[in-house]
Amino acid sequence: MVWTYKRLAWLAGSWLCLGLGLGPLTAGAQTAAPKQAPPLPLRFGQPDPADLEAQGFAADSGAVAVVLYDVGQSRFASVAGHMAIITERTTRIKILKKAGYAYATVEVPLYHQGESSEKLSNLRGFTYVRGDDGQVTKTKLDASGVFEEKRTDKLQVQKFTLPNVQEGAVIEYAYTVTSTFFSNFQSWTFQAEIPVRWSEYRTSIPQVYHYKALYQGYLPFAVNEMGVGSVSMILENKAGTGLAATSQSQSLSMSTEQHRWVIRNAPAFREEPYLTTAADYLARLTFELAGVQMPNEQYRDLTDSWTKKNKALLDDEWFGQALEHADFLAAAVRPLVAQYPEPAARAAAVRALVLSSVKYDGTNRYHATGPLKKAYELHRGTSADVNLLLIAALRQAELPAQPVILSTRAHGRVSQEYPLLEQFNYVVALLETPGQPDLLLDATEPLLPAGELPRRCLSRIGHTVVTKGEGRWVSLTPSRRYTHMQNIKLTLHAPGDLTGEVQEEYGGYAALEAREQVQQLGEKKYVAQLPAARAGWEVPAYSFSKLATVDQPLGLRYELHQAAAGSPQELYLKLLEPFGERRNPFRYAQRRYPVDIGLAQQEIIMLTLTLPPGYVADLPKSANLLLPEQGGRYLYQASAPAPNTVQLISRLTLDKAVYSPDEYQALRELYRQLLAKQAEALVVRKAQ
Amino acid sequence: MAPPAPKYPADAIAPALRENAHAVLRAYDKTVVVKSASQLVETVHRVVTVLDEAGSDDYGQLMVDYSSLRHLNYMRGAVYDAQGQLLHQLRPAEIHDQGLGDAGGSFMLDLRMRYADLRQPTTPYTVEFDYEIVSENTLFYPDWQPQAAENLAIEGATLQVTTPTALPLRFEEQHLPAGAASAPVATTTQTTYRWQLPAAPAVEEEPLAPSLTEQQPAVHLAPATFVVQGHAGSLASWQSLGQWVYQLGQGRDALPPALTARMAQLLTTTPDPRERARKVYEFLQGSTRYVSVQLGLGGWQTAPATSVATGGYGDCKALSNYTCALLKAAGLPAYVALVGAGEDHPDVRANFPSSQFNHAILCLPLAAHGTVAADTVWLECTSQTEAFGYMGSFTGNRHALLLTSEGGRLVATPRYGAQANNQLRRTDLWLDASGGAKATVRTRRLGLAQDRYAQLLQEADPVAQKKYVANRLRLSQFTITSLRLAAAPTKTLPGVVETMGLELGSVGTVAGRRLLLTPNLLGRLGTLPAQVGPRQTPLALPTPGLYQDTVRLHVPTGFRVENLPPPTHLTTAYGVYSSACTTLPDGTLQYVRQLETRRPSGGAPLPAARYPEYQEFRRKVSQADNAQVVLVKTDA
Repeated sequence: MVWTYKRLAWLAGSWLCLGLGLGPLTAGAQTAAPKQAPPLPLRFGQPDPADLEAQGFAADSGAVAVVLYDVGQSRFASVAGHMAIITERTTRIKILKKAGYAYATVEVPLYHQGESSEKLSNLRGFTYVRGDDGQVTKTKLDASGVFEEKRTDKLQVQKFTLPNVQEGAVIEYAYTVTSTFFSNFQSWTFQAEIPVRWSEYRTSIPQVYHYKALYQGYLPFAVNEMGVGSVSMILENKAGTGLAATSQSQSLSMSTEQHRWVIRNAPAFREEPYLTTAADYLARLTFELAGVQMPNEQYRDLTDSWTKKNKALLDDEWFGQALEHADFLAAAVRPLVAQYPEPAARAAAVRALVLSSVKYDGTNRYHATGPLKKAYELHRGTSADVNLLLIAALRQAELPAQPVILSTRAHGRVSQEYPLLEQFNYVVALLETPGQPDLLLDATEPLLPAGELPRRCLSRIGHTVVTKGEGRWVSLTPSRRYTHMQNIKLTLHAPGDLTGEVQEEYGGYAALEAREQVQQLGEKKYVAQLPAARAGWEVPAYSFSKLATVDQPLGLRYELHQAAAGSPQELYLKLLEPFGERRNPFRYAQRRYPVDIGLAQQEIIMLTLTLPPGYVADLPKSANLLLPEQGGRYLYQASAPAPNTVQLISRLTLDKAVYSPDEYQALRELYRQLLAKQAEALVVRKAQ
Repeated sequence: MAPPAPKYPADAIAPALRENAHAVLRAYDKTVVVKSASQLVETVHRVVTVLDEAGSDDYGQLMVDYSSLRHLNYMRGAVYDAQGQLLHQLRPAEIHDQGLGDAGGSFMLDLRMRYADLRQPTTPYTVEFDYEIVSENTLFYPDWQPQAAENLAIEGATLQVTTPTALPLRFEEQHLPAGAASAPVATTTQTTYRWQLPAAPAVEEEPLAPSLTEQQPAVHLAPATFVVQGHAGSLASWQSLGQWVYQLGQGRDALPPALTARMAQLLTTTPDPRERARKVYEFLQGSTRYVSVQLGLGGWQTAPATSVATGGYGDCKALSNYTCALLKAAGLPAYVALVGAGEDHPDVRANFPSSQFNHAILCLPLAAHGTVAADTVWLECTSQTEAFGYMGSFTGNRHALLLTSEGGRLVATPRYGAQANNQLRRTDLWLDASGGAKATVRTRRLGLAQDRYAQLLQEADPVAQKKYVANRLRLSQFTITSLRLAAAPTKTLPGVVETMGLELGSVGTVAGRRLLLTPNLLGRLGTLPAQVGPRQTPLALPTPGLYQDTVRLHVPTGFRVENLPPPTHLTTAYGVYSSACTTLPDGTLQYVRQLETRRPSGGAPLPAARYPEYQEFRRKVSQADNAQVVLVKTDA
């Protein structure tokens, strides 16, 4: 059992998790560093007296805390004769409000895998509080506030919480992480959920290692300098084996490349709706090892082209090589070749076989966790296990499937500038047919038909992994929209009763969404939560069609009844309202980041109302609104196709998967007008 | 070799058990063997057939938590296909182990879990799990509630408890069908108890119902006597449980001398006991925060007051113990009290003394003095912002166990009725000819109604406050032009006033020459979800509240009132409602609406048969709430 405390879940604050991606702002011009590196902007243990005052910490007056300084330095050094990356970090935070106390508790994740590990040392911290008498008390972080937790086999979490934290306190902590993960150099995030006054990262990398630095974010650098320096290391060289093994130390002096990046006054990062993942928008630097130039050795180029990346992936035991060991699939797959001569139908059949053989366990990877045979026998696996099996099975079925690697929406956008494998976390199958659009296949989502990727994969682009050449970028934006159509036939009876029926059709991703909900809620509860049912209409009967036939649109037909509410002399009927959008999805007046919906949409309502004899209706005005740059439109039409009949058509079309922040106001206005038209009342009265 | 006999084939499940079921519990056999007062062994055999994908995540996997006082001996699993043929036997390497991190806001726990995933790509399939736990935390005995979730049918379940005759078992049966319990069988040294449940179809949750854990059959177990980490106790009564916890904390209330002196000084500066307690509470809130470290016995025993004094943090027990020590030094003896905290936490099952708590608070009795009557002040010590003496929906309206030197005593925490759950709103609405409007809204919330808003005020920045309010406004479109939250307590209750400016795109509906508008802009009571079929479960109504709305509707020029909604008065057992719309002398319309919700039976659930009557009440309220004003263009 776990004890509780007075705090509701919806306000829990936490540091943002990190990922990869590329924003619209490039790193900008780099300047040469001065000969002598400038001193660090802070000295541990010596807070600036001005920071202990109460006032003037952030333009954002509501901030609960402010990061005054967050300074990191990463360098290569020798540790006990071995090369390591040493990162020293010092963070100083001003706690402004009680709600900011959460920032006094820190978790540092430390990974280890195989030979590589991260270790934390030299942890120290202080809390500074200025009393009413002007005296500053300094309380030290002691051992009782420091804990280690083994979260998983690969993840150790170092936690600490600072003592004596109060409103107005300044907390400060520093630690060193020693890492032997050379392929990805320590990344740096300049932004947080609270404002950051000064964030600085310095790197010192011996010129034997070549890293590519990739900046993403919406904030400019205040400092972006590069210079040269040098480092001396004592490394142990092992020669021979067993008893004959000798070890000798060698002192090496190497020139280094020195970088310094500073971002000042970064505003607090806030989540907005329709974002892929926070990591796509935060100001952030990441690195990938591009090559190694050891003294007296040839330069080993590790990244520089997709040709090389492709080769590396295809040689990888858990990627390309895993695909080679798939003979166990032959017995199940071979019969499909004769059974389905047409490639697309055969591909769908192979996918269906994989879907029914292996369950996706919810983990996203592009590397298999083990031999594909193992996942096949376990009936379960990660996205990589499932989709590499799919590729292998397609090949067994004589379909030349290629892997396409991509990054899921939650994992972040990929840069097309550099072939960085760390950016990817997912793999799907591609079938190319000359003259035909690309056929992308995924076997993790049983409720989608062949050729449609799960929504998590709708992240714009992926890259092929091919045996010859660079391969190419493949668009992941689906050609099919999210389509929802409602055909409503209502009859108004003289006393004011309304009866009728609705024929709904969900196509594309709307069908997926509806099928998922029916699966979770059951048919009965699904119908009970339809907007019309919630608005008080009775639903005496309903039936679904094509619920299990996922390659066809899902149909739902239901009957409706609403008892008389108004006076029969004159009625104001808001007929579209219970079937339309309930609220403007763009609730906030301002938008800072792009609106990433992921796919195009269409919502159509066609309503036909039959009036009782002797009644007439005043038709509302039609409307036709366009978004700029062919972004979409809203059409509203009211007509009387026959006597005693009124027809209302409401059609919303959104043609883009992503709208820029500049388009936000137009989008919001389009919805405002749509809601106004849908809420408009039809006046029905007795003819004079 | 012949194939092994099939186990649990899916087609052996009776059709009635498939109805509304995502999964069927084929077997759930729990065996508890009490080894001694300080150790028990719990063995579970659980077999579930997953019928469809919606049951896969919940039943195709198993998670078992463990800690330094609760060891997981083994965990085994197997999965069978629809015909009952073995598909896979779980291997040890496939069992994942994970720390539970900062579960529930805790900073450091020794709680970990192991989990195994046997989900299959096609349904139906059957998973069989076996695990055994050795617990040295004998204050807790396991519970048995086979059918605690909706859409799960059961074929049967058993519970067997064996205990040394010298350590008698205590148990409480909940909604058991007849014949579920067998007579205990005693030998010279041991007694064995047995329960079993027959097949039962799946149940579905309904709105406004008690939780399934309260409705479904269960057997709650507890020891008569126990020993945790060498500390012996008895659960014979609330008195004895309280005694044990009290003694664990004894001698942990010493404060640094300077702090004692500082508190003692309050005796002279603030003679009024209530005011003095308020000063102590303010000191606590200004200098401490909640950080939970619970390892081993630390789950039960408070950290010493000195550790809070130096570090400035602690968990609920430590902060309550520390505050108790502060109050004592200020001449105000108080008691730490254990409570089941949380808006939805059920009250203590009072006639079954056992550990049912998850939080600690403080109770300070104040004797009568002068003209001031005796009173009791309750304090929440883990919040830096909570109002002095206020429990609210988190710990109010329930029972807590006072820890005194004479042992435990179950007492009621403060009760908050309709008057202490009050929302009073005044809206001014300036309508324009096209149906748009500007509005100013002032809402004062008191007591329970302000709980979330007080937290919003204290813990969220203005941007987050605006988002929270925007997400909860039931308007199709709007822009919040200004928003301000401010504390506005009364003498007895905390309160928050929210002042808001709104621009409303289309609040009125244009219909030819007419303009229609629902004057109850913000106070509409939501409709109940559509009821499909007859109501099955009892009706549990929310805490009573009082909601008052006044809307001044400023009619645009060129319009006159054509029709006003008729006044409505409803008086029922479920609530009293009134609404009326009148024209004021200056031509503005005034809409006044008041709803006081009631609970005919206090907190106890009502029989399902009462539901249609309640639905009718809600339907009438909803109809009145949605009534429209009709304005028409003047011909001039």
